[in-house]
Amino acid sequence: MIQIILNEWKILLRVRVLAYLTLFFIAGLTLVTWLGVIQNNNQQEQQQAAQKHVREQWENIDAMNPHGAAHYGSYAFKPITPLSSIDEGVNAITGNVLRLEGHVQNEIVYSEASQSLSVSKFGKLKPSLLLQYVIPLLLIFIAFASVSSEKETGRLKLLVFQGASLPKLILAKALSVWFYGLFLLVITVAVQTLINLKNTGAGNIERTFFLLLAYGAYYYTVVTLAVYFSARLKNNTAALSSMLAVWIIWTIFLPKIWGNTTDKLYPLPSRQEFKTAMKEDRSKGIDGHNPSDKREEELKQKVLAEYKVDSVENLPINFDGIVMQADEEYGNQVWDKHFGKNYDILRKQKNMYQLSGIFNPFVSLQSTSMGFSGSDMLHHLDFLQQAEQYRRVLIKSLNDKHAYGGSKTGDWSWEADNAFFKSIKDFEYKSPVFATALNQNLIDILCLAFWVVLATVIVALSASKIKLV
Amino acid sequence: MKNLLPVIQSEFRHFFRSPFKTVSLVLFIGVAVYGLQNGYDLFKKHNAEIAAIKTKNAESVKKIESWFNEGKKGPEDRPWIDITTPFWAIWNAPSSAFHAPSPLMPFTIGQAEQFGYYKQVTNWSTTFDSDLAEEIANPERLTTGTLDFSFVILYLLPVLVIVLLFNIGGLEKDLGFDRLIQVNSMSQKKWLLARFAFYFLVLVMVILVLMLPYAILTGAFQNEFSTFIKLFLYFTLYTLLWFSVFYFINLSGKGSANQALKMVAVWLLFCIVLPGTFHQIASLKYPSSYMTNYIDANREESKKLWELPDDTIRNRLLVLYPKLKETKHGKDTLIDEEILGNSSSALVNDLMKKTALTIENNNEEKNRFIRNSFWINPVSFFQNKINSLADNDYYAYKEFRVHIQAMIDKKIDILLFDCWNKETINKGKYLQYIENFK
Repeated sequence: MIQIILNEWKILLRVRVLAYLTLFFIAGLTLVTWLGVIQNNNQQEQQQAAQKHVREQWENIDAMNPHGAAHYGSYAFKPITPLSSIDEGVNAITGNVLRLEGHVQNEIVYSEASQSLSVSKFGKLKPSLLLQYVIPLLLIFIAFASVSSEKETGRLKLLVFQGASLPKLILAKALSVWFYGLFLLVITVAVQTLINLKNTGAGNIERTFFLLLAYGAYYYTVVTLAVYFSARLKNNTAALSSMLAVWIIWTIFLPKIWGNTTDKLYPLPSRQEFKTAMKEDRSKGIDGHNPSDKREEELKQKVLAEYKVDSVENLPINFDGIVMQADEEYGNQVWDKHFGKNYDILRKQKNMYQLSGIFNPFVSLQSTSMGFSGSDMLHHLDFLQQAEQYRRVLIKSLNDKHAYGGSKTGDWSWEADNAFFKSIKDFEYKSPVFATALNQNLIDILCLAFWVVLATVIVALSASKIKLV
Repeated sequence: MKNLLPVIQSEFRHFFRSPFKTVSLVLFIGVAVYGLQNGYDLFKKHNAEIAAIKTKNAESVKKIESWFNEGKKGPEDRPWIDITTPFWAIWNAPSSAFHAPSPLMPFTIGQAEQFGYYKQVTNWSTTFDSDLAEEIANPERLTTGTLDFSFVILYLLPVLVIVLLFNIGGLEKDLGFDRLIQVNSMSQKKWLLARFAFYFLVLVMVILVLMLPYAILTGAFQNEFSTFIKLFLYFTLYTLLWFSVFYFINLSGKGSANQALKMVAVWLLFCIVLPGTFHQIASLKYPSSYMTNYIDANREESKKLWELPDDTIRNRLLVLYPKLKETKHGKDTLIDEEILGNSSSALVNDLMKKTALTIENNNEEKNRFIRNSFWINPVSFFQNKINSLADNDYYAYKEFRVHIQAMIDKKIDILLFDCWNKETINKGKYLQYIENFK
């Protein structure tokens, strides 16, 4: 088998067009990876500058009423992960700015896609675009004639008569093309790692390794099937057109059709329905600004009993702060219910989409590529949830200051000092650990593994039945 | 012409005898119908949502009317609301801005899934409010993209054309009887052209037949006939473009596989690599904005406005609206704090308009760069042109923002003059507001 692979490589190296193509792809991948890293770093700088700017404004608050500060609010800007220079996933589609304020859980806004005309339906020219769409096609072009041309020249018959096993021959030819794909893949990852050395932190090495593994598995599937078709079908043209048909179905048709189907199987509410439902539930709670609210009265009686006084004026604390926090806590239940419902639907859609990897390995590749690059929907949802968690801590700190900071009920002019605002920690997003990403992409990995096994089994079991002429 | 007809006739037979080609065409038609239906569903969904909001607004108006009828000034649990004052009457006069879907939406959904298409407009609104965000959707699905009719035409039609044409002239070379054709009376160029013409006509007819029912269904055929024809002509021109490129490939091709390779490479270049490249360069030159200038204006600058002394606010309002001097409050020497408080949204609006202009200008720079790439990036050109005809490209939504801004301006204008004239609002005046804000 090794001898066949070596022979195949010798033949490949003799093809001048392939040598030029290889040089072109090495240069192209290097350039695209380099540009991807630069663009990523630019965006990261912008994000950090925005976060710093908003933080400075927060720390420069001289003195402000805590509830006023809750309305003044803060912002969380979606960060860029180092590996999103390889695959930016959903980053261009989702918003980048999330307002964090009292009384409400906002939605992320201002996506890159809404800031310009439409340019590309397949995304930016990042390494992932080349590695997912272009390289597999190149591998198909290299592999489609590998056996059929041997058949046409009668060499295949000769090889088999000399004792070569047909399944082994097909696998060896597939492996030789696969190694070529791996070579391009390794170059991309090496360039990315070298240019981005300072960002190669813990977790990223494992993520990069799994990216390699996923792409490797997909290339193996594509190449093995291309070589198998080459052996199985009548001539070069039939082999090429069949494999191209498979490529189009896998990469263009099925992802879109299945994506739309999952959307219909688990429909999300419209924004209007979502907001109306939340408003309705929210109105059942305490309205922090409405003194005549019955629920507020109950809370008041409870606090008065606790402090053993007969009126809020006699309380040593500011009852308004307590009301505000009670309102927040009720609101949080409402947000958890409705946002949680949407997140559940999105996760169900994702699971359903991932399952289509059973009949389309390209979907599994796309999913793992985004997942391990930290730019898929699940990472996005994680960011939203961490930001919301921060908002709750921030608003609670402000309400607690309002209640227990030294002011009396009804005193809205009381102000907390600069030291207090500075003492509140800034939002810091922590990207999920590698194990989480691995767990979220387990279905995809299993699907890719299934395809590797399936492609090998197809060759092993049916190659011997292939006609030699 | 005498020689061309038999070629077309034989091509007709060749096509129907090739299961690979006929199945591809049938598949293409199936996917195109699926794409059309997706666009049509979105068209219906947008219309239904807009109708639902209008109904909800009408219900709100009825509720306020009933307050007027019953002599109430507002809800019992909110005693501070007084709908007989211009501020509260206007606050309770629901007005929504809509970007109604074009009847051409089934043919392309364009950027419709990236922008909001309705917005509640108040005197505090801005054109970059978070409620103008896109509909709730799975971001991974949006990244993959919806399979709409324009995608089918722009990206899949060339693939179908490859399937139909890759062995035209190539098969003859594969089997070695290409010279036989050359010794016939017709030139190879004309022979190839005739064969290409057959497929071109078939595809153009298929596109038209697919488009017609949906155009009739949405009313595009009846109400937007000229735009519909323009759209069809763009699709035809686009198809012609690919046929032209492939014609030259086949003319100099060395066989079916060789032609297929070149065709796929060209498709890859124009449909994936070039748009991707310009997308990447545009992002490098103009990184995605975090809208800090908008945030600053909305928070810091607005806060500063609130802290201004009353007479400064009054003077600024008089500079912005000189005619306010002629109102009751404008002629007063005493400042009414409540009136000034209710008018402050005018100053914020002026501030936000200036900021919005900066954002729009920045976006425009990026768009100019994208447009300048169109001569080498034809797929993106056609994509945006088609989106523009269906009123769902970036500029359609920019127009929508302009419309929203006009509504905000109108609301503030009426609010200011009625507040400063110390008008008392009755049911008739309230309904006049509703009419004005439509």
